[in-house]
Order: sequence, then structure tokens, then C-alpha cells
Amino acid sequence: MDVEIKIIKKFTPSQLTLVCGLPGMAYIGKLSVDYLVQQLKAELVGEIYSKYFPPYVIIKEDGIVELLRNELHHYRDETGRDFVFLSGNSQAFSPEGQYEVADKILDWAIEKGLTRVYSVAALVTDRPFETPSVHFTATSAVLIEEIKKHGVQQLDHGIIGGENGIIMGLAKKKDIEGVCLMAETHGYQAPTGEYVIDPKAAKAALTVLTSILNLKVNMEPMEKQAIQMDEAIAKMSEIERRVRQEMVQSGKKPSYVT
Amino acid sequence: MENDVWIKRYHNSELQEPVAVVGSPGLRSIGKLVVESLISETKAELIAELYSTHLPSIYETQPSYAAHPALPGFGGVIVESGSLDLPKVQIYACNSPQLIIVKGYHANFSGQYSVAQKVVAFLKEKKVKRTVVIAGYGTKDKKNCCAATNQEILQEMKQKFNIDIGYRGPFMGFSGLIFGLAKASGIEGVCLFSGTEPKEDDLEFPDKESSQRALEQLRQILGSSLRGLEETKNGRANTV
Repeated sequence: MDVEIKIIKKFTPSQLTLVCGLPGMAYIGKLSVDYLVQQLKAELVGEIYSKYFPPYVIIKEDGIVELLRNELHHYRDETGRDFVFLSGNSQAFSPEGQYEVADKILDWAIEKGLTRVYSVAALVTDRPFETPSVHFTATSAVLIEEIKKHGVQQLDHGIIGGENGIIMGLAKKKDIEGVCLMAETHGYQAPTGEYVIDPKAAKAALTVLTSILNLKVNMEPMEKQAIQMDEAIAKMSEIERRVRQEMVQSGKKPSYVT
Repeated sequence: MENDVWIKRYHNSELQEPVAVVGSPGLRSIGKLVVESLISETKAELIAELYSTHLPSIYETQPSYAAHPALPGFGGVIVESGSLDLPKVQIYACNSPQLIIVKGYHANFSGQYSVAQKVVAFLKEKKVKRTVVIAGYGTKDKKNCCAATNQEILQEMKQKFNIDIGYRGPFMGFSGLIFGLAKASGIEGVCLFSGTEPKEDDLEFPDKESSQRALEQLRQILGSSLRGLEETKNGRANTV
């Protein structure tokens, strides 16, 4: 099992839009996509397991063990459009793993009739702002002009790190249209070095994303939802902090003879 | 090399849906102490050994189970009782009670999944239906708690053995991944966590009292009548 997509429920779309929000800086992508899954009552159709995820399991609050994983949720709107939302509790750790996981997911989605991929990421800035603005980049000039009509600013240059970026690059390689939305965040870090979630940025990204996708989503519970997510992610951050704490390198010299 | 993980088989044991007991070096060496004692007491027979290019002879991380992508460790052999061998996971079998006992060994960061997957595939082949994983968790409470692959087992643990859930959080290393991957493969399981006080300067320093407590609970779970914990060697993983 390098990367395994475990199908929970089969579905047959005519065309498919993939929306990615894996945990990353300030958890903007994950917050946004998890919110859409919850609000739209999207159905879990697949789980993704990989040896490229960090090598530990989670014992949850209810005492049940879980492997780290990504999840695929399916939603069909009233007009028959099919969406799959990609989120999860981890990203693959290494660049090699991120390529493998993203490639496998795209191939699965292409078989399902994938036409376009969206991802949501963070744009870390030290610019003071009241409301975070949302920037974007896309895989073609035509698409860039289309997205500009939604009042978002094209990113001139930068790097989209991690799987939310790699999946865009691989989509382009496979001739699939892709749009990445990036919400501004100050990328606050806790004293432990962990990024603090940014629900304001997620809300800004979601507002643009739902406009582009023409999805009707009740945004009112977002603030409350963000607080709940804040608590959940804070726990996740604590777990990660504890893991990293135990990964501290020993300063001792090797004590063996070769 | 053709494969990065390979198994050397010695005996083809024919067991009927055995329970697998899994332990490895870890917090206060509880898992390792318990499985070593169980192997000794049941006179279990060595049926297979798993080798891998991902098993360091010397770890660069402390504790050994806290794998780090930039610290793969050092390859080498381990000398015991005058002879040498590569680092390995050892798998034993016992007819009465019907057990498979896995004495784990932590792979480095890049190999943990591969090694655990191979072990779980072996357990599937041996028709294991349930795993019992033994590990320690950091607390000042001298008690056992458990986690499981489903709610039914948690209820069984509570009703039959009065063991509650307790530990929440990450479960690192060989035994954690066996637990999670076994679940993904359809093997139900329970992990018995024995409370132990971490020694900050040496997290794997053996805690025999907590190991004894875990062994006694394991006896109940297995429904067997094993003798008490024997004196075992202080065989922790090598770290630098």
C-alpha cells in the first residue's frame, strides 16, 4: 500500500469537480472544505490511506484507534452537478509522498469524469488588514480571466507549498483545469510553533469559492463552526506538538565501533 | 536488494483463528517486557523473522519509536550471545493457548508503514481474528486502560475485565501502526495501555511493575494461566 483509495460508496457522475482542502498553513483549506462537507451534507465515498502519511495512529476521545487518512465526500446539487471534496487529518509528509497521493487522487477523479480542480490554501502576509483578501492562480489564461470576474486578485508570484499546490501542478500536467484560491492570513503561530487556525481567512475563501461554484451555502453558522473547529484543530495541534517534541534529535555521539 | 522487507519462515504452524499479542520497545519498555515474558512462559516457538532495510541497528532518535524523517539511524548488525544477526521482528506461535506473539522492532521514518503492513499481512495469512497490543502510556496513575478498533470490544473490556478507556492521542511506533493497519485489514483489536511514569531522561527505561500489571491483565484477557513476569534482560533499543 503506497497509496490506497478505499471506496466506501460507489457513485457515477457525468462530470466531476474536485475541491481540495488538506490541512496546511492556518488550516484554511481544511476549514473551508470541512465546512462545505458539513453544510452540504456531502456523503463519505472514499478514504485514502498511505505509507507517506506520518507513521503514527490516533486514539480518539471515544477510545477508538484511527490511521491518519484523507477523505473524499460526494455532493450532487439540485441541478445534477457532482462535486467531490478532499480533506483529511494529514498530508503526506515528503514531496515524494505528496506527489504520489495527489497523483492517485487525480487519476481516480479523472476516471470519474473530472473536469476541474479547485484547492484552497493560505497566503501568508505581514500586510495589516481588517478583512483578508483572496488571491488566486489558475492553470490557463482563459481560466484566469474567468475567475477574475469574481472580484479576486490574481497572484503575481509565490509558492503554494504542499499537496494543495502539488495537486494543481499535476492537474495541469494531466490537462485538467485548476484554480487555487489563497486567503490572506498572518499565519500566527502558537508558542509551540504550531500555526493557529484562521477562520476569518477560511470564511473569506469560502465566500469566493461558493460564488465561483454557484453553491448555496448558509454562511451564518460559520463563526460558530469555526470556533468548534478551532477546538478540534487545537487538539490536533497539541497531538502534533507532542509527536514533534518526542522527535527531538539526541545530541549524543554514536557509541559503537565500525 | 529485491525487497526492502522480507520474512524468513521456520515453521508452518496450523492454528485456528489465533489471537495475536503484539509488543515492541516503547515507553518504559512495557510492550517488550510483556511479550518477552509471554514467549518465555508459553514456550512459544519461533515461526518467522522479518528483516528490513528500514530497521536501524542504532537509532538517532530518542526514544527509538519517535521516528524522524531526517534521522534514519545507522544500519548494522546486533550481536547477542556471541552471534550476530540483522535487526528483526520476531514472530512466535503457541498451541495452548492458541497465540501468535509478535516481538516488534521500530523501523525508521520511511519504513514504518512497510514493515507494519508486512506483519499485518502475515497475521492475516495466519487467520488472526483479534490482536491484543501491549504498550505504556504516560501517567502517574498506576492503572491500565484500553483502546480498541470498535465499540463492541471496548464494552467487552469494560464488562468482562473492568478496563476503561483512558489514553487519547498519538500512538507512535511499530505497535501503533500494527494496531491501525490491522483494523484497516479487518482484524479487530484491543490495545492494553499500562500507566507508567515517564523518565524524561530515558523514556524506554524498563518499568517492571507496570509491565507486571499489564501481564496480569493480559492473562485475564487471554483466559490463560500464565506464570508471573520473569526477570528479563534490560534489552532496550540502541540509541546514539
